[in-house]
Amino acid sequence: MDMDTDPLSTTFAALADPTRRAILARLAQGEATVTELAAPFDMSLPGISKHLKVLQRAGLIEQGRQAQWRPCRLAPEPLRDVAGWVEQYRRHWEESFERLSDYLRDLQDRQEQEKGDDDERDPN
Amino acid sequence: MNATRIDRGSTDTTAVYSDGGDLVFERTFDAPREQVWKALTDPEIVPRWWGPHGTTTTVAEMDVRPGGKWRYISRAADRDDVVFYGEYLEIDPPSGYKWTFMFDVEGVGPMGGPETFTLEDVSGKTKVTSIGHMGSPEAIDGALATGMVGGAIETWDRLAAVLAKG
Repeated sequence: MDMDTDPLSTTFAALADPTRRAILARLAQGEATVTELAAPFDMSLPGISKHLKVLQRAGLIEQGRQAQWRPCRLAPEPLRDVAGWVEQYRRHWEESFERLSDYLRDLQDRQEQEKGDDDERDPN
Repeated sequence: MNATRIDRGSTDTTAVYSDGGDLVFERTFDAPREQVWKALTDPEIVPRWWGPHGTTTTVAEMDVRPGGKWRYISRAADRDDVVFYGEYLEIDPPSGYKWTFMFDVEGVGPMGGPETFTLEDVSGKTKVTSIGHMGSPEAIDGALATGMVGGAIETWDRLAAVLAKG
């Protein structure tokens, strides 16, 4: 898949960094300014800005327009796509396996039943 | 236990973990391997178990041989039909097979990738391992290990609740 055109790949690439995930975790609790976001990290403001730019390009965060504050906030849509994809896959197989197990159990029961019937049948 | 394995919410019956770019499910079924193989590859049987709860599956196409196509239509009351499709890449009855598992998501495009199923005989029972090759470790880590999403393993509702706090 092409990194430039596939939105999921862009999201994944943006998420594949612990600093950026920590920034998102912080923003999940409410909006914050760049200075506030930089505080927990041993990183310069330009360093943080670079991460924010990646997140912004992936559509994971939005930045306010006010020149002074420009608070960042979470944009949940791309994360929903990612989580939805993995969750759908996971749920699909977990529940399919559950149903397969039920089916196989029924099959075993029926076979045992038939075997029992055969044993009881009069050979004549 | 491989150090690169990360548990992704195993249950009593099913081990779920990621390993690099793979998402793996392991479950042992109380049935002989031939029976499990048949259940996985017989178009008459697949609709009896395939798909999450609350869905029904119609097999539109299922050509179980290398290069053969498959297409299932999954129906549920609360959503539009979803078509799952792909191609059989390798077949080795009753030990396993590999296929591509794809589905289209509106606004995002085709998703999925290759999947491998292995069936092992374990004293008359059958251990099935399904490996979803999701691509990069980043794909798995990004989706599952994002702290705020609670592993992305949680349900949509729980995700929505976390995001709503923002």
